[in-house]
Amino acid sequence: MSSVLERLFQKYTAELNKASDDPNIQLALSRAVKSYRDNTEAALKRFPHTPKLAEEVRAIKETAIERMDELVTQARQAIEANHGKTYLAKSREDALKLAEDIIGTGKIVVKGKSILGEELEIRDYLIEKGNEVWETDLGEFILQLRHERPMHIVSPSIHVPREKVAELFTEFFGREIPPDIAAEVGAVREFMREKYFSAHFGMSGANVVAADCGAMVIMENEGNARICTAVPPVHIALVGIEKVAPTFQEAMKVAEVTWRYANYTVPGYVNIISGPSKTGDIEKVTTYGAHGPRELHVILVDNGRSEMAANPLFRQGLYCLRCGGCMYECPVFQLTAGHFGYRYLGGIGAIWTAFVAGGMDNAAPLIYTCLRCGRCVERCPVSIDVPSMIAELRRRIVELAHKAG
Amino acid sequence: MALKLKAESRNYRLPQTLEVIRGNIVKYGNPLGLKGNEIAVWARDLNLPRQGDVLLYTGGEYQLVPYIDSLVNMLTRMNQGSVGFSLMMGVRNLIDMVGINPEKIVAGVGSRDRERYRDVNRKAALVLEEMGLKICYLGEEEIYSGALLYEYGFVGDLRQHARKVTELIKSTGARTIICLSPHSAEIFKLIYPRLVDNFHYEVKTFLETVYDLVKDVSGRLPTGFSGNVTVHDSCRMARELGITEEIRDILSKIEGVTLIEPELNRRWTTCCGGPGKVLFPELSGKIAARRVGELAATNADLVITFCPYCLAALDKGQREGQKNIQIEDFIEFLYRGIVK
Repeated sequence: MSSVLERLFQKYTAELNKASDDPNIQLALSRAVKSYRDNTEAALKRFPHTPKLAEEVRAIKETAIERMDELVTQARQAIEANHGKTYLAKSREDALKLAEDIIGTGKIVVKGKSILGEELEIRDYLIEKGNEVWETDLGEFILQLRHERPMHIVSPSIHVPREKVAELFTEFFGREIPPDIAAEVGAVREFMREKYFSAHFGMSGANVVAADCGAMVIMENEGNARICTAVPPVHIALVGIEKVAPTFQEAMKVAEVTWRYANYTVPGYVNIISGPSKTGDIEKVTTYGAHGPRELHVILVDNGRSEMAANPLFRQGLYCLRCGGCMYECPVFQLTAGHFGYRYLGGIGAIWTAFVAGGMDNAAPLIYTCLRCGRCVERCPVSIDVPSMIAELRRRIVELAHKAG
Repeated sequence: MALKLKAESRNYRLPQTLEVIRGNIVKYGNPLGLKGNEIAVWARDLNLPRQGDVLLYTGGEYQLVPYIDSLVNMLTRMNQGSVGFSLMMGVRNLIDMVGINPEKIVAGVGSRDRERYRDVNRKAALVLEEMGLKICYLGEEEIYSGALLYEYGFVGDLRQHARKVTELIKSTGARTIICLSPHSAEIFKLIYPRLVDNFHYEVKTFLETVYDLVKDVSGRLPTGFSGNVTVHDSCRMARELGITEEIRDILSKIEGVTLIEPELNRRWTTCCGGPGKVLFPELSGKIAARRVGELAATNADLVITFCPYCLAALDKGQREGQKNIQIEDFIEFLYRGIVK
């Protein structure tokens, strides 16, 4: 009888091969790789200080992860002082329970893009608890309707061409939506507007958190995160504990390097949120919930990150800014997109999957897919040594396998 | 369509292919269990001494490459009706078929390929001798460095195996090891010192050795080729070992040769797909074809590379993609001008 690991490999390999034969994926990816490289080159040329800044960010991340627990405590104190509520979730289950306790059931939730959200599978969880949850990022919304998972962390629906989107929207909206990108975007805009204003909760992630003042930086282009975090009466932010940076200034450096290597000169919106909406305009009495949310809840999630931080080799995995640059350079990813992944994608995703998204059960096939060719390291703004970590994880898998007999 | 990869139990048996390769290295000294005389047949008429200051180490890698391809072809064919299927299918029979008795894979190797890859070793030895370097060779006793043990996570086995390899190297009295495969060079340079005591050797790739021999030579090197060439930097060479400029310097000294760089070169070189060959042969082939496409875009006549796996992967990619560009190992390229 073949073992579980063997069967996983079979199924997974079949998926990879299928993806590499899919003309939609191939066309979309070859375009995406080219435009990523061109845009990044242009952005780096226009802002030539970026590689130097990236070195600085590497040093900032090294310090921040070294002091992670202390900075998380400091960030919580700062946010609480700003009148936000904070929580520390040890595990996925804790995080989901915390969100459920805040949201309850029968509510409408509008959600911005969050990779941590994918890790926690929070959308499905909240729907299961009787809520209506909408992904507001266009790519994520498409995937929600297709019941698929993201194929890239920055451009999740990278594999779906406009014709497929038109078919999907025509069925969902119950009226003819032509395969015209502007019309498709317009249909979602109209639909989502109503949701934003009827939602009880807005949910988002954060790219970086300044521990000194509690400011969370959320970068985006569509403006959906801006509305999600400003219009509903309550904002819930899900933040991985590795996102802390010591100071506001350093957080901005991290943010700039992240977007630059995500191929943007500057994103359309950089949101900075440090507490709920407030006003003191009448008699200098501070009152919460002026125009924006009256409540801010920040759920900081560990779920395996402390274990990564404690290991001198794997600690560097937490330096990942999630710019997505490495994926465009990965020869396997270029053929298979997010099929080479589980919640987290590509080579660095194999490492993250092992620690925070189901352990070796989910990560083993990914760990053996990486070519260890090292091209990702060349692109990575903080030079994360993925091949060395993959080698060590293989050693651990062999150890597990031999222990199991 | 979400991938559900949750295992139902803690049943962690590894893919059989990996266990087979591991077992062969541990038991027979090379990944496919080939015999020593098959590995060393290229040196039969050269009378290379077994002892000396400089050891030529082939690791059996060029010799093995066509057999690995044969194995992969055979296993891919085996999955009839589902080309897309992985090697894990049918692994029950794998050990019976190939594991410790490689006749069937041997039968699947075309004699032209076998000769060509064997001959790379002979050419390397002749080039070095022609350049005035005295080399020794372990002959039928030579065993593989175990790089794949490291690659697949069998670090405990590698520790054992490395001791055997080290003993053999020690018995030659050599202080310098010249590795034909960058994978051996990498493992000797970066991993062995962590696993075995007193592994203090000067480890060089063939390319570095030639570079050291010609760098101060004024005048030009002879060549049997004139035209445009391009270079495929191997990942190990460029990124792990940081060897990128040597080949360019050497080529600039060779008469009648113009180097056209591919768009992605040096540390930005693209993988040939070779590392994925055993577990993901289809993807590996597609990655190779893409790299050949990038190299062919230079419109050069010839691709020069310097790793047995790159050579095999690109050569296959070239044949299957019917690209109008030849793939040669640096050793073959040099031999044409220097020895003939």
